[in-house]
Amino acid sequence: MRRRLPGFLLAAPAWAWLTIFFVAPVAMVVWFSFGYKPSIFATQATDKLSFDRYAEVFSPTFFATFQNTLWVGVAGTVLCFLIGLPVAYWMAVKAPPSRRGLLIALVMVPFWTNFLVRTIGWQVILSPEGWISTALQTVGFEPLAILNTRGAVLLGVVYNYLPLMILPLFVAFDRVNGPLREASKDLGAGKWTTFFRITLPLAQPGIVAGVLLVFIPLMGDYITATVLGGAKGNMVGQLVASQFQTAQNWALGSAMAVVLIFVILLTVAIGAGIVWLVTLPIRASHRLVIGAPAAAPASVSIREEVAA
Amino acid sequence: MSAPAAQRQVRRPRRAWSDVAFNVWGILVMVFLFAPIAVIIVSSFNVGRLLVSWDHFGFDSFLALLAKPAIRDAVWISVQTGFIAALVATALGTLAGIAMARHPGKWVWWFMGLLLLVSVTPEIVDAVALLPWTVFLGQDLGMSIFNDGIVRLVIGHSLFSITVVSYLVRARLVGQEAQLEEASADLYATPTRTFRKVTLPLAMPAVFAGFMLSFTFSLDNTVIAAFVSVSGSTPWPVYVLSALRSGLKPEIAAVSTIMLVLTLIALGLVALVLRRAGDSAADIARTMAGS
Repeated sequence: MRRRLPGFLLAAPAWAWLTIFFVAPVAMVVWFSFGYKPSIFATQATDKLSFDRYAEVFSPTFFATFQNTLWVGVAGTVLCFLIGLPVAYWMAVKAPPSRRGLLIALVMVPFWTNFLVRTIGWQVILSPEGWISTALQTVGFEPLAILNTRGAVLLGVVYNYLPLMILPLFVAFDRVNGPLREASKDLGAGKWTTFFRITLPLAQPGIVAGVLLVFIPLMGDYITATVLGGAKGNMVGQLVASQFQTAQNWALGSAMAVVLIFVILLTVAIGAGIVWLVTLPIRASHRLVIGAPAAAPASVSIREEVAA
Repeated sequence: MSAPAAQRQVRRPRRAWSDVAFNVWGILVMVFLFAPIAVIIVSSFNVGRLLVSWDHFGFDSFLALLAKPAIRDAVWISVQTGFIAALVATALGTLAGIAMARHPGKWVWWFMGLLLLVSVTPEIVDAVALLPWTVFLGQDLGMSIFNDGIVRLVIGHSLFSITVVSYLVRARLVGQEAQLEEASADLYATPTRTFRKVTLPLAMPAVFAGFMLSFTFSLDNTVIAAFVSVSGSTPWPVYVLSALRSGLKPEIAAVSTIMLVLTLIALGLVALVLRRAGDSAADIARTMAGS
């Protein structure tokens, strides 16, 4: 087995690259977050370490933005799920198999169009001079005033992240499709019973992947809020960016970035806890174990879904 | 394949209301997904000063591109960066993916953990972290290569792509037995030769898909690019971002239309290669949703 020896060394270049250009810079940001901004000309200093920047992050001005971001993040994820679930189910189960390839392509094209440009497309649609607004005015309504509000940001993030919800859900439903659901129907279960007791539980890894794929980047979103949000629709991403780009206060910006990561992790944990509690009575009464145990740690199933 | 036949039989007598509702909802969502893209394509034929207000139809915005070196330069920087970043990500990711699939062990868990960490970190955090880090490497440590605009962009854009390529290549090889490689070794091929003649060709569809995905990711990357780019090498999305503040002109829509067509061609190629390699529509979706 001598030829097996250098095996994992094949991964060494990637490992080194990610350590130098991901782990080290992020570690540096964490280090900066304990420092301070010494003068208007310097961006940060770390000769005195403290938690003062974290206290600053939780001041009322910034706290409001965190609340706003969390609201948009949770509402956006829930809306993506509610809108995307029927679409994914339709694509995987209802649509004729011959059209499936085309439907997937259709969902993917917006996904691969430049994020910024798509968002600008919404800016054009929603602008008070746009055609929707003009049409409304000819019928006698007020001009459209949604641009530069939190509602516009919510619309933008739902639009931008919807494909990231649809695709993993589609893959999950596609896997469940077929014999099992037929068996359920043959045994006398109705449509809804089959959906809630067979399809949905088996599609769980896809649901988890979709929710995480939408929620995590959404919380850090910076483009959508910049293009559609104006002054009212501020999000943490913009706050972090402005500390680095305009205010030149790297210490405070770093603390915000670290808090953002913690807020994301905490929300995911709380969300998982709530889902676990809510489904506890259901899982206790109808256990569904098929093939390999689906009770692997959540992180594993997410990873596989992302990898798949 | 009895499922399609069964479905057809069920459908023939009468359409259930729920099927109609699903169709309507699906089509509505598709329209929603394409609305802003259609608006951008239409706007690219707008002859007027600003993108937002429609004047009349014409090709002026496409012709104006020829006269604007700033836009051309920005697109060229993006294409160069995309190509180099995709090369780097594909090389590193392919090696890592092969190692994970063919040389399993405890290290794989640690490495997958790192990949997971990279792929779930919000882009804005990567961006603000890379800015001080490249300044530190380039100016404090005097490694002048990190002051180069394209090098910085390539580094920023490669991070996420490496994880995607690694996942793709690993997923492809895990699905195939290692018997071919063992046979090759039994037939006295050197490890290098086995790697080149057997392992790489097996992984090739995933490598190719990974390359194309990395390229499009890089073209699309706005957040990291906005932080690490230096003046003189502004990539296209950062140019658009700055135009956002000074007023959007129809030229921006024109370039977007051209780039959309190019992206569609690239994605079509990926789908073709994957289909040749025997993937079903669902497999392709799974590959593409790899992000």
